[in-house]
Amino acid sequence: MKEQTVFCILLFFAVLARATAQEDPYFVTYTHHMEEPGNLEIEASSTTDLPRSGQRFYFAPYTEFEYGVTARWTTELYLEGQSTWDDSTIFTGWRIENRFKPLKREHRINPVLYLEYEDINEADRIQKEVEGGAPDVSSSNSLLRQIKDRELESKLILSSDVHDWNLAGNFIVAKNLSRNEGFEFGYALGFSRPLATLASGSNCRFCRENFSAGMEFYGGLGSTLGFGLNDTAHYAAPVMAWMISDNATLRFSPGFGLTHESNPVLLRFGYSYEIQGIGSKLSRLFGGKP
Amino acid sequence: MRRRRIVAVALALLLWRAAVGQNTNYQPDASWRAPVEAASRTNSLANRPQAAAGGRKLFLRDCEECHNQDGSGIVKKHSADLQLLVVQQQSDGTLFWKITNGNPDRGMPSFSKLPELERWQLVLFLRTLKPAAKP
Repeated sequence: MKEQTVFCILLFFAVLARATAQEDPYFVTYTHHMEEPGNLEIEASSTTDLPRSGQRFYFAPYTEFEYGVTARWTTELYLEGQSTWDDSTIFTGWRIENRFKPLKREHRINPVLYLEYEDINEADRIQKEVEGGAPDVSSSNSLLRQIKDRELESKLILSSDVHDWNLAGNFIVAKNLSRNEGFEFGYALGFSRPLATLASGSNCRFCRENFSAGMEFYGGLGSTLGFGLNDTAHYAAPVMAWMISDNATLRFSPGFGLTHESNPVLLRFGYSYEIQGIGSKLSRLFGGKP
Repeated sequence: MRRRRIVAVALALLLWRAAVGQNTNYQPDASWRAPVEAASRTNSLANRPQAAAGGRKLFLRDCEECHNQDGSGIVKKHSADLQLLVVQQQSDGTLFWKITNGNPDRGMPSFSKLPELERWQLVLFLRTLKPAAKP
């Protein structure tokens, strides 16, 4: 019975698995590259810190489901958790986000509008974006999980592809609906480039064309109650992505804290798996018309 | 019983073929036109036909899902039959522009995320597709 289940799962992915285009290496910065329509990308990522003395080590995994609704509209669902050394492992919440590309064609600078609703608690530590300081790592999970953070967040994403380099800037405005913290601001800036720009004819996995690297910077800009860089976290993070197969990408980024409010080091890992034409393939799998 | 199964499989294959079959009735989007400057660009890999092998690899990775392995398009997806003369007669610059920008109204995504040379490799590969008789 167990073997049959494993076989069915393998068969499912064998039927679904198809190729994908190269993924951006960033963890925090968004670009104007949207998910292809009908494709579903499933990503398992994590954020881990190297704590200061007296702080506890944590591991914050999250799963992301990204679906291309149309060529100009991508929607994503996140499920997030967190585990703290010498404390507990908890589910910290979810978020749903949508990205819209208002312009049809590619331009020198491509704007994308981003809207997100998140229902998380204070124990959340994935730090998908940074608006204020670093998360509270000294209080216990049982205490932090009781403090809800229902937040609306918008971003203006500006992104450009110039001579095989991608340059992207995100400007973040967030409003906590659970309590009055004013409007909070943040930023993310990134640049990246594939290590080779000509595809070889062979199916090599260690060729430079399968790697892209770059750098991203992200941090908080305060809020309407106190705008500025005081008491905010900022990071500089090299990023690297490796397309390990036509439909899977590994990403890694060590982020270095630039201010006292930041974690000294944030380590991010991500594994994404893309399934093309998920709707029609599922339909075909269960006997329907594609 | 066995004969029934064979018939059922054959019927399923026929239906599948009809669904993913060559889209010879493809009608180009008249409003999807490359600007003159973009259309007149020449393929920077024109002197390196061997680079088409990499283009084929990219095509199978990024384009096959909608355009079929042989570029003949898929009826259900309304995707272009890239073998048709109406496609093959377009300039290299036009094809490059179309790959770069996509056509969101018809579900064609932009592939600007690919490096410029890889997009030219795709154009090289498209030229190797056998043009179908139908214009």
